[in-house]
Amino acid sequence: MASDSDVDRKIQLRVSNYKAYVWDVDDIATLRAKHHICGVLTGTLPHLSQQNVFLGVPLVLLPEEVVLLIEHQLAVLIDDPNAHKPPTVDALKRWNMEREASAQQQIAAAEVERASEKAAKHSTSEEAVRKRKEREAKRAAAAREKALAEGLTLEDLPAESLAPVTDRPSTPSKIVAPSFNVTIPASSSELEWYAPNAHAYSDLVSARSAGVWSYPSSSYERAKCRVFQDLWDKGNFMGGGIKFGGDFLVYPGDPLRYHSHFVATVIESPRAPLMPMEVVAHGRLGTATKKSHLFCEWDEEKQEVTYFSVEWAGFG
Amino acid sequence: MEKHPSYEVLSSYLPIYPKAAGALFQTYNDLKYAQQWSDLELVELPGCARCGLKGRRPQTDEVLSIVPCSLSESLSTDWIRTTFRELGAPPHVYLAINTEDSSIVYYKISPGIVKPPL
Repeated sequence: MASDSDVDRKIQLRVSNYKAYVWDVDDIATLRAKHHICGVLTGTLPHLSQQNVFLGVPLVLLPEEVVLLIEHQLAVLIDDPNAHKPPTVDALKRWNMEREASAQQQIAAAEVERASEKAAKHSTSEEAVRKRKEREAKRAAAAREKALAEGLTLEDLPAESLAPVTDRPSTPSKIVAPSFNVTIPASSSELEWYAPNAHAYSDLVSARSAGVWSYPSSSYERAKCRVFQDLWDKGNFMGGGIKFGGDFLVYPGDPLRYHSHFVATVIESPRAPLMPMEVVAHGRLGTATKKSHLFCEWDEEKQEVTYFSVEWAGFG
Repeated sequence: MEKHPSYEVLSSYLPIYPKAAGALFQTYNDLKYAQQWSDLELVELPGCARCGLKGRRPQTDEVLSIVPCSLSESLSTDWIRTTFRELGAPPHVYLAINTEDSSIVYYKISPGIVKPPL
């Protein structure tokens, strides 16, 4: 188990069903800027209903990225399902009160705003009412003059033209139910019943025996971790290779600034069978996409990675 | 068979590595007659149980190294390493992949991480 200081200092990788997620935006930034680990954003954004182009938290990491971060003591694995305890009655009460208070606050603020808006409108309408009164008075005077000129006496004039103009009744505004926003936080960190410290693992062995993390479990997976680490040590940024038929995409710098130059395929061992058709397929796709294909061989005995770059010859 | 123009050059090499004979014959003919390479010479690669080739593309000076193989063979990175060693550590090795319908594709293999051409 990890110590409290471990959990506080290191990046928390929240593991659910053998996948590691990063929910804190600051950690995502640190991973990219300081450790050149990019991951993939996989959450949806409430304001973008399409939910397929721009995504938000959480960030999901490649298993090789997780292994690297743990082995370099940069992160801890949190057993997320178990870190969420059932809340106590008191904790739930407090949570409900906070939400209610937030709702009341928003309603009150909305009222204040509406009142000040109405006040602003009312002063102009006061002026408008005054002007209207003057116009009506002038019209009434003109009508009286005309009537007198036509020979009618004062008593015969209709009472309405002499009566002062009354204020127009204001149009009743619709009764609107008070509305407020409910904020759902992305991260569980602020929840009273979230206890990551008691369910944190700072090394792969303890995480594996607790059944929280199981990668790598085969020699191929081990080879992928070692190759990933070697490429990372050389300062590269890596991404998933599925779009180009490889294990990883290799970028010389941040993927936001560079196109990847290489597609990497991991070769499990120096004697693992390699079919010429694979050379053709990888080599031709690499060349067609202006990349080079790397065969990255892991030698378990010598504990080293050897690279071979493959491209179409351009003749034949 | 003896009447084929390439027979004389290849006759001493083909029997040494019979399993690789087909690929060698096809590749040699392609390079010499179709690709029009010059100064073709054969190099024995005992570690790979075959012969390799060296030669020059038309109008170039650089000597290139070729290793023929068949599409149905099973290679490995160790095998690739051996070809480099036995060819005298050239900067690149061209793998000539032969098929049964006599198509050949050539792929350039370089040691290390080599950036793609622009």
